[in-house]
Amino acid sequence: MLELLLRSRKFIGGLAVVVTIIMFGIIGPMVTRNPQATDLPRNQPPSWEYPLGTTSFGEDVFAQLCTGIRNSLFVGLLGGGLGTLFAVLFGALGSYKGGWADEASNFVTNVIMVFPVLPLLLFLAYVLQQRSLFLVGLLIALTGWPWAARCVRSQVLSLKEREFVNLARISGMKDRTTVITEVLPNMLAYILMVFVLLAGGAIIAEAGMSAVGVGPDRFQCATLGNMIFSAIQYHPGVPHWSYIWWWFIPPGLVLTMLLSVIFVLHAGMDEVFNPRLRRV
Amino acid sequence: MMKSVFTHPFTKFVCKKVVFYLIVSFVALNFVFFIPQFIPGDPISFLIPRQGAYMTRELYEQIRSYYMSYFGLDKPLFDRYINFWRQILTGDLGRSFPTGGPISWPLPVAQAILPRLPYTLALVIPVLLISFFLGNWIGAKAAFVGGKWSELVYFFSVFSNRLPSFWFGMILVFLLAIKAGLFPDVGYMTLGRIPAWDLATFIDVLRHYCLPFLSLFIIYLGGWATGMRSMMIHEMDSGYVRYSEQLGFRKNKSMSYAKRNAILPQFTGINLYLNALIGETAIIEIIFGWPGIGRLMYDAVLDKNSPLIIGCFLIIMVIVIFGNFLVDILYGFIDPRIRTGRG
Repeated sequence: MLELLLRSRKFIGGLAVVVTIIMFGIIGPMVTRNPQATDLPRNQPPSWEYPLGTTSFGEDVFAQLCTGIRNSLFVGLLGGGLGTLFAVLFGALGSYKGGWADEASNFVTNVIMVFPVLPLLLFLAYVLQQRSLFLVGLLIALTGWPWAARCVRSQVLSLKEREFVNLARISGMKDRTTVITEVLPNMLAYILMVFVLLAGGAIIAEAGMSAVGVGPDRFQCATLGNMIFSAIQYHPGVPHWSYIWWWFIPPGLVLTMLLSVIFVLHAGMDEVFNPRLRRV
Repeated sequence: MMKSVFTHPFTKFVCKKVVFYLIVSFVALNFVFFIPQFIPGDPISFLIPRQGAYMTRELYEQIRSYYMSYFGLDKPLFDRYINFWRQILTGDLGRSFPTGGPISWPLPVAQAILPRLPYTLALVIPVLLISFFLGNWIGAKAAFVGGKWSELVYFFSVFSNRLPSFWFGMILVFLLAIKAGLFPDVGYMTLGRIPAWDLATFIDVLRHYCLPFLSLFIIYLGGWATGMRSMMIHEMDSGYVRYSEQLGFRKNKSMSYAKRNAILPQFTGINLYLNALIGETAIIEIIFGWPGIGRLMYDAVLDKNSPLIIGCFLIIMVIVIFGNFLVDILYGFIDPRIRTGRG
């Protein structure tokens, strides 16, 4: 499998860009200025001194961008990881048991799927006046998983009819042990793909919340969405924000790149793991 | 005759869906009622400091107790719960807090929301319908043509579907409104225009409508095209299409069979897209100053106007649940397996 992955151009290309962005997120905050410090000259266009210019508060845009990437990746990891956990819990265990447990978990999944995520997050943002990055990631994880649970469920339903699972059942293995030792390892690749998509979804959800100012506190936590929100907020009304284009274009560009590349990565994995699409 | 209608599998399907969405509504309403109870402090304490500069302790307490009884917040939880359901069932959503600005008196929530409803629906419905038909057509065409064009369509549709809507909207304003001057930038009407039911006002609103519409439309167009293209490629690979080709069917004929099967999963996708679109519309409304429900809810969140927030969230839930129900029923009509109850 690994050799096949390494031969997939989509996967390798995607991975290269993702790793580059991750590097920006990890190394960037170590070498750049403090993203929250407001002691620089204001509204400077990009120059050698300030690679992406400065904001109207006197912050370094490049420093904010790097920290924002790091924070976005953190939300992606948290939202994607926890979301995958929920998806597996609700998708795999219920459908393997079948009957009552399946009905119940499927019902919960369907109910949560109907909830529109962003208005829900807006509503929760009102309830939770103080929001940290962790809390936002947690909220996104709690609301984003239903479609993934459906995918996992359909996968388990087809896997549980296979011989080795039947064999495990006949040999008297407990249901929970069967799922954990027989079913889940066989869909590890699939779960990895679900994780990748959920992480992308979490990143865009956090950016969307931050961009309208209901994400993590923007004075403590620079995120890509918060940068866009600050740019709009500082120049409200008639879009004066368009005059300092170096403030709001880079975060969106990085976001688009990250999300596209995550999709390409996913498509590459799909071509390798999904025998119907296998071409490499 | 009557009996056959009641025992028809399609009726059963509709009943199942009705029960499901009733339960969803029940869960959602309870959620809306109980979650705000966890807010530390009461909503009134956010409201009073906005009312005046300085007040004595007694005056504060007096105003507070007046507001508490006016908005029914002094009653025990159970009474408020009953009252909440009564309000829902009678369609009266209570009164909003007078937080100042456009809402300087306890405006009934329904009155605040109703004028905003057409603006949201004017974005959601056309975006969903037009992007569905056009996107699926593009996706099917791309799969049908194949080769370089197909790859190009794939590339652009994936890219456009990954664009963050709020940022893409800003870029459109930056390029099309500010640099090219083709459209007005933000807002829903030229400042200073007195709204009237005439053609000039309509054209003005329409011109302001273009950019919010485009920023949502292009994103969703890409989503449908990506999905349809891969579904079509999947179907074109399947046995019945190959068989019909070997029988000597014209390519268009066998494609029309493939399209019919490829479109079915796309219909189930409408539900997911609708739920996502409602959220994106809220963000686009906020960015563009488009006076829809999302914008109203956002302003209410900033003002901590809890009755208005709850009202807006309820209306959004009603739109989503009703839309989902409609799509499910439509799916039942289109999928012959459900329509006839066989297969």
